[in-house]
Amino acid sequence: MIAIMKRDLRSFFTSPIGYVFLAVFLLVSNYFFFGYNVSGGASSLSYVFSSMLLILVFLIPLVTMRLMSEEMKQRTDQMLLTAPVRVIDIVLGKYLAAMMVFVIALACTLIWPLIVTMFGDPAVFDIVGNYVAMFLLIGCLVSVGLFISSLTESQIIAAIFSFVAMLALFMFSSIASAVDNVVVSAVLNWLSVFSRYSSFTAGVFSLADIVYYLSVSVVFLFLTARVIEKKRWA
Amino acid sequence: MIEVSGLTKYYGNKKAVEDLNFTISSGEVVGFLGPNGAGKSTTMNILTGYLSATSGTAKIDGMDILDDPIEAKRHIGYMPEQPPLYLDMTVEEYLNFAAELKGVKSSSKRKHIAEICENVSITHVKGRVIKNLSKGYKQRVGLAMALIGDPDTLILDEPTVGLDPIQIIEIRNVIKELGRQRTVVLSSHILSEVQAICERVLVINNGTIVANDTPEKLSANISGEHKMNVQIAGPQSSVMSVLRSVDGMTSVALRRDNEDGTANFVIESDPNVDIRKPMFFALAKAGYPILSLQPLDMSLEDIFLRLTVEEDTASRGARKKVAK
Repeated sequence: MIAIMKRDLRSFFTSPIGYVFLAVFLLVSNYFFFGYNVSGGASSLSYVFSSMLLILVFLIPLVTMRLMSEEMKQRTDQMLLTAPVRVIDIVLGKYLAAMMVFVIALACTLIWPLIVTMFGDPAVFDIVGNYVAMFLLIGCLVSVGLFISSLTESQIIAAIFSFVAMLALFMFSSIASAVDNVVVSAVLNWLSVFSRYSSFTAGVFSLADIVYYLSVSVVFLFLTARVIEKKRWA
Repeated sequence: MIEVSGLTKYYGNKKAVEDLNFTISSGEVVGFLGPNGAGKSTTMNILTGYLSATSGTAKIDGMDILDDPIEAKRHIGYMPEQPPLYLDMTVEEYLNFAAELKGVKSSSKRKHIAEICENVSITHVKGRVIKNLSKGYKQRVGLAMALIGDPDTLILDEPTVGLDPIQIIEIRNVIKELGRQRTVVLSSHILSEVQAICERVLVINNGTIVANDTPEKLSANISGEHKMNVQIAGPQSSVMSVLRSVDGMTSVALRRDNEDGTANFVIESDPNVDIRKPMFFALAKAGYPILSLQPLDMSLEDIFLRLTVEEDTASRGARKKVAK
């Protein structure tokens, strides 16, 4: 698992993709930070983080698209699947590699709390809540992206479908409010991984929400492993 | 040691292999011979746990590849037809990754990798990015990957495909060397290759084993010494009549009339008679010297034709009997 994580993480940064991702992420997020906090004078990071949610819709597929697709296309999955490791370890290794990329990206933003604290009086729960929520949400979306990547050999198709999936998840809550039917609206709201985000930023660490995020991740990681297993029986 | 029994694999409705049964003992070097699409790669993919069989079992050193995959896989080094290389890595990084993946202890990793690189002669390209290597070197890196973790069974799918003649000879020598201490299973669609490396051949056609023998016996049984190409100096018609008069000769055909007054003939004899001595004396007596004499190597196509036709007629015969 660790070997796979190290290799995948390395491959992000030996190809331009890792740098493109970091550059776009940091450029856009720092633009928001500058707008809201530096020039706008807000002490809360919530505005920046919630603006970044839409960026994630674009960036998550960029990171997850190649995780399994590339292995299948280059036939390197033969090496992984005939090595003495469990399929779930392969999936977890890949998942952790993608998460590490986001951890690196988020680590680069840790300068924000520093700046805000120096010049203002931010609430601690606001900062911690935003980071925890962002981390959980990314964990959830990466598992969806990884799952989609395991379905196709083509990186492009994986990227497009992941993008569509992220966009759908993003829009569920706004669609839900537009729907008249109570049941449909409730289901859409429940499915909307983004709508749960806001309670964290208000400082409410609801166990239900944490469990929700973690379980969605676990379900998709499990499904990814099943998809890989199933290929052997095809 | 590999034990396979009743192995069957269907891709959807399409049969890939059916009811394969064979055993390969420890230390044996065995070749899977068959045309493209015969089921060689499928069989190898099942043996290594990449694919699952529809029914039947495959055991590596007594461990079932489905029930105990992790332990069984520890005993296997697999090089697929297209070596699974990460093109963006250097050879050393790649082999390091393979070692970590296979759980080689980090204390002995460096030494282990260095030994393997030496064995397959890639030490001097260790620092190069795999993408930039020639096909022959990529193949060697694939082989090195299979050797990591010191598995006692090596499974090599068409290890020489796409290489130039010199590289083929080099890779063959490497495999022969490796086969001294290990069980080696390799596949090929080239008869001479299997003959050069393997102690035993399993011929696979249409997903079933049609022959299982040593390469010598196999080619002797099929082609034998009874079909030969012979070059003789002398007038064509009289040479032919001398040849026909030899006891045990079944057919004589002119192959090529050469400008230097010699001619090549293809002769066939009764399989139970060694025609060479009587033919020599007969021709010597008539004053027509033999310039060259060589058994006709059957091409793989001929062998398949022969084996599969035999199989077909056998099964048709069996059906007739049943019908009666």
